[in-house]
Amino acid sequence: MEKPDLLYSPPPHLNSGDTVTRAMRDVLLALVPIIIVSIIFYRLNAIFILIVCNVTAACTAWGMRKLMGKPHSLEDLSAFVTGTLLALALPPTFPWWLAVIGTFLAVGVAKEMCGGLGWNLFNPAVFGRVALIILAPAFVWLNADMAPLHLRFGIIDVTSGATPLALLKLGQGQLLPSYSALFIAHPGGSMAESSVLAVLIGGLYLLFKGHINWRTPVFAIGTVFALTMLLGSNPFYHVLAGGLVFGSFFMATDWVTTPITDAGKIIFGIGMGILVALIRLYQAAPEGVAFSILLMNPLVPLIDALTRPRKFGQIVEARIPVIRIKTVSK
Amino acid sequence: MERRTFPGGVHVPHFKELTEHKPIVRAREPKRIVLPLSQHTGAPCEPLVREGDHVKLGQKIGASEAFVSAPIHSSVSGTVAAVQPFLHPALGREVLSIIIDSDGQDSVHEEVRPKGDYASFSVDEVKRMIREAGIVGLGGAAFPTAVKVSPPKEKRIDAYILNGAECEPFLTADHRLMLERPEDILYGLKVLMYAVGVQNGYICIEDNKPDALREMRKVAANEPSIKVVELKTRYPQGSEKQIIKAVLNREVPPGGLPFDVGVMVSNVGTAAAVADVFKKGLPLVERVVTVTGHALVDQQNFQVKIGTLFSDLIDQVGGYKVEPGKIIMGGPMMGIAQMTAEVPVIKGTSGILVLTRQQADWGEPSPCIKCAKCVDACPVNLLPVFIGGYAEREMYDVAESMNALDCIECGCCAYVCPARRPLTQAIRVAKWEINERRKKRGKK
Repeated sequence: MEKPDLLYSPPPHLNSGDTVTRAMRDVLLALVPIIIVSIIFYRLNAIFILIVCNVTAACTAWGMRKLMGKPHSLEDLSAFVTGTLLALALPPTFPWWLAVIGTFLAVGVAKEMCGGLGWNLFNPAVFGRVALIILAPAFVWLNADMAPLHLRFGIIDVTSGATPLALLKLGQGQLLPSYSALFIAHPGGSMAESSVLAVLIGGLYLLFKGHINWRTPVFAIGTVFALTMLLGSNPFYHVLAGGLVFGSFFMATDWVTTPITDAGKIIFGIGMGILVALIRLYQAAPEGVAFSILLMNPLVPLIDALTRPRKFGQIVEARIPVIRIKTVSK
Repeated sequence: MERRTFPGGVHVPHFKELTEHKPIVRAREPKRIVLPLSQHTGAPCEPLVREGDHVKLGQKIGASEAFVSAPIHSSVSGTVAAVQPFLHPALGREVLSIIIDSDGQDSVHEEVRPKGDYASFSVDEVKRMIREAGIVGLGGAAFPTAVKVSPPKEKRIDAYILNGAECEPFLTADHRLMLERPEDILYGLKVLMYAVGVQNGYICIEDNKPDALREMRKVAANEPSIKVVELKTRYPQGSEKQIIKAVLNREVPPGGLPFDVGVMVSNVGTAAAVADVFKKGLPLVERVVTVTGHALVDQQNFQVKIGTLFSDLIDQVGGYKVEPGKIIMGGPMMGIAQMTAEVPVIKGTSGILVLTRQQADWGEPSPCIKCAKCVDACPVNLLPVFIGGYAEREMYDVAESMNALDCIECGCCAYVCPARRPLTQAIRVAKWEINERRKKRGKK
């Protein structure tokens, strides 16, 4: 018998066939319904922003890795997930130069400069979105200079009208759209806010595929609902309007920047929900989903350390968990 | 009917269709056998024969005085060709082995004769017979059965679980045994229960083997003390701690053994081997081996004489269909990769699996995305993402503080990892390093 050239390694010898690329592809697929709704509402504007963000994301990821002497990793599709998520978190008429800056900060700074996929502390898309909100005043001059280059594709029905959450804040409840309109499809705000239903379809797809855990979105949305009701606001609008459902299903379930334990996922969801409700009700800003997620992100290592599961066969002693944060040098 | 299971684990495609409907056939008589003197957990045996000696089938050719050990018997009659080191399929290094050229006569040793009814012997006599017959656990770990059925006196044992889960993909040796020799399995369980003195026996089978469940239920129908339990098909259902959790809802404490929760677990194959001791007088000289895998021309369940070379069995199914990528002793989740097919079947060889290059080559791992699939899959509630990560960076102290030593090496984490990170592999290395350091510390 001839001697075959055999592979030799410890077990297991079988794998599920899953890859990171396939998981990322599933996330992009899950975004298709909300992309379709956005395109129906905003036509070429939506397509344009999506292309701007994705092209910028790809170029940034490629360029940054080149600069750092790492092999490119575009095939893992994570740059496109960030680009698409950020685009959907923007209003359709958002100036394209700001979208470029935001995407660069998301992919270049929040992700690649933190070590690339898997190493980032902050959700890149959320980081980009929040950076744009905070830095907006700094770009007033740029907006003036760039104004002639602003592109508009056709007329949009509802462009500068106040979003439902802003109306709620201003006490103009009579102008609010119906629950069902908000749930099924209603233009206004960022693209991802245009249909709760479309976002949910995508979220359920990810749940079905086993890519995300139900705990984070359920506890995030549940907390916002309960807290806004307790604090005397209309909980239905707080859930249906704004970016809560989108943020809960697509941002708060980001693998890299959220807890790995089941208990940790619940804590993350509740913490995020509390922050969303407090920001919306007591801060000047009408919306706070992105801020809340960004504030929860750096707590993740702590949450993971606190929620280490009980060892199999271990008898649990009722005591306050001791936080042990190990700084290890190697 | 209630089906029981355990938390965690993964669904693995089982690939058992390759051999599950193929009856056990006797492999052709090997011309030469290789019997390593260490085929079990515990002290290796000393050879009792020398080059040139004539041996008979069933003759004891290796033994040890140590408590944790099991003697080794010749599976053929013939002449000892050499006593020399030979590559061991489980240890991956050369181990002193007895090489015997078969004369093809199968002349049986005088001591091989039916022992008679087990109940006519004292418990100690039964244990001694089990030990003398060289019986070890046939599920893979090859722990001497006589030692297992002699737990410390202070432990109260109230249940004996016979493990017929066979949760490893590809393997069907236990499945076929349950279909073809259910009475022997039942008889073996009764012997083991008698030896330990327990009243409750459980024969546990995954629900992907409905025919085996039916057969075992049929023979166990008149045994009020023995229950046949249907388990959900889920890997690693056949792991000792998981099967105890599933059947009795008891959790073996970290670092503990089944007897700490009053349970004994043996494989169905072990029970059949015990039955052979009493019914035929035959020591452990043969076992059922599933020879399978997509890289082979054919797949088969063989009754194999221990010591037969893998290459001999691979030849008997027609050899390789495509270039083999990996030859594994055991199943794909916990089996041991081989450097060559020129290694012998030992007592713990449940299968010979040959994967294609495509199946065996995982490609380069990509960065961990912390998706936590490994956390959800871990049946002992560990955080493989962290332990594996620290292990890869050789930070074994941190890995130890994350309970690396509690890992049962089932392979679920590496199986589900979408980044194809070698988690289980890294944790195994960490466990080894941690144990080495502990040993060193103990010496100082």
